[in-house]
Amino acid sequence: MGLIENLKSYTEGINLSSDKKELLDSFLTKGFPSIKDEEWKYTSLRKVVKNDFKIDESSFDISENEIENYSLNLVDRILFVNGNLISKPSIKGVTISNFSEGNITNNTEMSSLNSALAKKGFTISVDKNIVVENPIEILFFTNSETDNFQQYRNQISVGENAEIKFVERIQNLNKSKCFVNHFTQINVAKNAKIEYNKIQNNTNNSTLIDTLNVFQESDTNCCVNTLIFGGELTRNNLNFEQNGTNCDSNMNGVSVLDDNQIADNHTFVDHKQAHCRSNEMYKGIYLGDSKGVFNGKIMVRQDAQKIDAFQSNNNLLLSETSTIDSKPQLEIYADDVKCSHGCTIGQLDEDALFYMRSRGIGVEEAKAVLTYAFASEAIENISVEEVKLLAQKLLAKKLNVDLDFSL
Amino acid sequence: MIEKKQLSEDKLLEKVTTTEYKYGFTTDIESDTIPKGLSEDVVRIISAKKNEPQWMLDYRLKAYKAWIEMEEPEWANVSYAKPNYQDIIYYSAPKQKPVLDSLDDLDPEMKKMFDKLGISINEQNKLANVAVDIVMDSVSVATSFKEKLGDLGIIFCSISDAIQDHPKLVKKYLGTVVPARDNFFSALNSAVFSDGSFCYIPKGIKCPMELSTYFRINEAGTGQFERTLLIADEGSQVSYLEGCTAPMRDENQLHAAVVELIAMDDADIKYSTVQNWYPGNAEGVGGVFNFVTKRGICYKNAKISWTQVETGSAVTWKYPSCILKGDNSIGEFFSVAVTNNFQQADTGTKMIHLGKNTKSTIIAKGISAGKSNGNYRGLVRIAKGATNSRNFSQCDSLLMGDKCGSHTFPYIEVKNNSSKIEHEATTSKIGEDQLFYCNQRGIGTEQAITLIVNGYCKDVLNQLPMEFAVEAQKLLEISLEGSVG
Amino acid sequence: MLKINNLKAGIEDNQILKGINLEIKTGQVHAIMGPNGSGKSTLASVIAGKEEYEVEGGEIDFEGTDLLDLSPEERAHKGVFLSFQYPVEIPGISVSNFIKTSINERRKAAGLDPMPAKELLRKLREKMELLSIKKGYLSRNMNDGFSGGEKKRNEIFQMAILEPKLSILDETDSGLDIDALRIVANGVNKLRSEDNATIVITHYQRLLDYIVPDFVHVLHNGRIIKSGGKELAHELEEKGYDWITKEADKKWD
Repeated sequence: MGLIENLKSYTEGINLSSDKKELLDSFLTKGFPSIKDEEWKYTSLRKVVKNDFKIDESSFDISENEIENYSLNLVDRILFVNGNLISKPSIKGVTISNFSEGNITNNTEMSSLNSALAKKGFTISVDKNIVVENPIEILFFTNSETDNFQQYRNQISVGENAEIKFVERIQNLNKSKCFVNHFTQINVAKNAKIEYNKIQNNTNNSTLIDTLNVFQESDTNCCVNTLIFGGELTRNNLNFEQNGTNCDSNMNGVSVLDDNQIADNHTFVDHKQAHCRSNEMYKGIYLGDSKGVFNGKIMVRQDAQKIDAFQSNNNLLLSETSTIDSKPQLEIYADDVKCSHGCTIGQLDEDALFYMRSRGIGVEEAKAVLTYAFASEAIENISVEEVKLLAQKLLAKKLNVDLDFSL
Repeated sequence: MIEKKQLSEDKLLEKVTTTEYKYGFTTDIESDTIPKGLSEDVVRIISAKKNEPQWMLDYRLKAYKAWIEMEEPEWANVSYAKPNYQDIIYYSAPKQKPVLDSLDDLDPEMKKMFDKLGISINEQNKLANVAVDIVMDSVSVATSFKEKLGDLGIIFCSISDAIQDHPKLVKKYLGTVVPARDNFFSALNSAVFSDGSFCYIPKGIKCPMELSTYFRINEAGTGQFERTLLIADEGSQVSYLEGCTAPMRDENQLHAAVVELIAMDDADIKYSTVQNWYPGNAEGVGGVFNFVTKRGICYKNAKISWTQVETGSAVTWKYPSCILKGDNSIGEFFSVAVTNNFQQADTGTKMIHLGKNTKSTIIAKGISAGKSNGNYRGLVRIAKGATNSRNFSQCDSLLMGDKCGSHTFPYIEVKNNSSKIEHEATTSKIGEDQLFYCNQRGIGTEQAITLIVNGYCKDVLNQLPMEFAVEAQKLLEISLEGSVG
Repeated sequence: MLKINNLKAGIEDNQILKGINLEIKTGQVHAIMGPNGSGKSTLASVIAGKEEYEVEGGEIDFEGTDLLDLSPEERAHKGVFLSFQYPVEIPGISVSNFIKTSINERRKAAGLDPMPAKELLRKLREKMELLSIKKGYLSRNMNDGFSGGEKKRNEIFQMAILEPKLSILDETDSGLDIDALRIVANGVNKLRSEDNATIVITHYQRLLDYIVPDFVHVLHNGRIIKSGGKELAHELEEKGYDWITKEADKKWD
């Protein structure tokens, strides 16, 4: 049985409120998005959703050892296993609790499905004026013997003048397949600051659709860093809505893929107010038979004057069978703006490669150094040192070299 | 002081919105017109009126059958009331025809019209470098220099004549680059096209002059569906220019053309368009719907270069494209698209890289003013086998005024890892500091804008044949008069 | 020729010029010196009519007309020329095209026909020689890819061609090496006549060795705090600004 059928039979037995029922029915009628859908033109879910994913899966224990393998071992850690909140830190001015019903979101099929059925996830609120120094690690582990479909739904609200940082990781610990439909909403109150880091390095039998919606009030600064090193299929929908003046929205992305991995980054910045900025830098490195997709849209609404929006998407195709589809878009309705996007697709510079080899550096190492140099601009923008180090380590591992890029 | 500035801006804006469409006259010429509406019978009538062979009729009927099954596309970022296809006259020919021994035999009314269009045929005749074919409503009315070109084996005539006189060539190539069922408008065109230009350049021949076609919609309620087929045989070279105008009318007139270019091995085609269909009035009433399919195919070492200056039409939907099939072939696209008042343009190009070492360049400059919207939509596709292919794209948008929009939708698809792609896009307005600098040198704001816009478009205007660069520049000036940012 | 009377101007509530008085007669060269932020460039911009500056009071009488009533281009037509501290780039427009437009717009304002191409060309050649400008320069794009020195020379070139009555040289010397400085100064000197006047705004006394001023004014905190002859420039070079600015600060505080 495919996922749609499983969802149908799963939902037959449960009671839903009328608005959720409506969302679910509309999803079940339309089904999962297909490549005929402009937003899914380059990424097909057809194969994935054919799998016999179970919706209600049994819980397994997890050893401390396994956690250490995937954790950055930060001081403050929120731990979920199969969607159950196992442990959470206690931080002054920060309330962390289990899933709570949030607003309905129905802007896409996947968020409708999440709205209708998700019952797991976290709710975090940061009080006014609270500055949290240490980044908080959020770990979602799944460990199930059967192929399983998970939906998490999270909310973060950052109070006025507050500052906080997160590092999130979703990890499948089992050989069975796992498909996660992840949804997070972040509300940022005036003059607050947040950095959200995503480490996506799941196993090659895992699919992730991750939607992150950020709503910014005036004078806020939000940065989301997305590091993709693994997963069979990873799709990120990252949306920023600027509802006040003087907002900064920053995005950095590094994808390093091999085998048959697919990574699809969709970003959308909605500049609704004047005097705001957005800065977006996505670097893709493709090995093996991997496939990259980038779709970045910058929208400047009428009267949102004095906007500076910059977007770049650079890609390296390092193997003969890797491919990339890129769609950078500008939709501008205000005149006093500076907006630009750039997209490049290419290879490593042969001259630089030769130069390094003539200095005695091996071919693979030279390639790795140049590749790191290519990605470093985006990695350097990450402020959490542990994440930066992990990115460097994973990059070296993916490129099969024993190099330390941290110097 | 600020109030004063505001006032002068309002004045200028008023001026631009009242700048008259220079080409909006109608010509009173008796014409042979069939009743409006489209059916299989109408397709047959058109074919019969043109005395076409059976294969041509079959081609049309097949296209018509495909068309009735198709739906009008909605993916472009434009909104308009869809034309009622049963309310359009699909054939209208000036009565005086068909054969003219000399251009001097032209109907004096028509001659007057050509003068107004700025293409005095007599003058052009003397200006030995341009051969002109003129298509009015749907029928080619005058072709100059036929003989001189004939000496070199170059065929330059209306497509109707080509169907009669060179059926083998037409049959072999028609619909090979743009198949009838390629899209809604190409299917429609294939079913009902009534005329257009045909050009064949034999092997190794460099066409000694610019070839040019002027398209003019005249009759009310007519659609114009011209068809252009240009074949450059091995090692040949040609530069071709088309210009378009239409009278001012309250209703929207439909123009759905198809242009097919075939560049055989080592051939070189340069195709330039100065599009100035009636854009509608300042309130957005009337104007031409310009839904055009243009595509060329390049074989080995061949080159196709599209240059377009688009200032007219209420709605433009147009993507001149290159299929780079042969190794080492080159595709180019240079475009200036200006929208003002309520105009909408969704235009760009497709570069399909199939052969090895293929190269493409895209330079697109959009200028939006008034309440208009301009879109760049482009595709660069590098197929698996297109080893060492290259693309460079530069898409810039200039906004004038805070009620217009400018949008960029590039699609980049790369399946070969030895290819290099660079795409850049910017959106900005004319800098206050640039305007002040010009003002300080005594150049008024309006003149300064013209100057800056011309500089901004220079990379594209430079691509036009000399004779037309000046005309294009003037057109830009007229289109943007007074639209202060 | 020019009479500035109690001119007050600023930008977004920030008053920069706090009452400037200055009179310039034909044939004269006035130097305006002063530390960074004293309002020198603001004064130049306000005379030329840059709209981002709000004029709060005073007048600028230029040959009987108040310049403040005129648009920037009208001031240019009357013969006011500003050599920009940071000349603006206009990509795609050649130097010759720009100058031609500038000349003809001025002529149009004066009710004259456009300058015949031949005359224009002769004039361009003559002034190129004056400023040791190389061939090929005319077809380059306006300031696009120009070095700092080339941009400044381009300003003086335009000044030579447009033959203004009042030239304001805003930091024309900054960023120039000594050879370029000599050429530029030489050009300015050759253009000096009994019918025109020049305001030289500079940081450095060095330029004034080449363009010798009749008067030197020290601008500080939006006011002219001291005026004198050319020897004042030397004094400033030796002693710096502190000795006058301190005194002035006391007076105005």
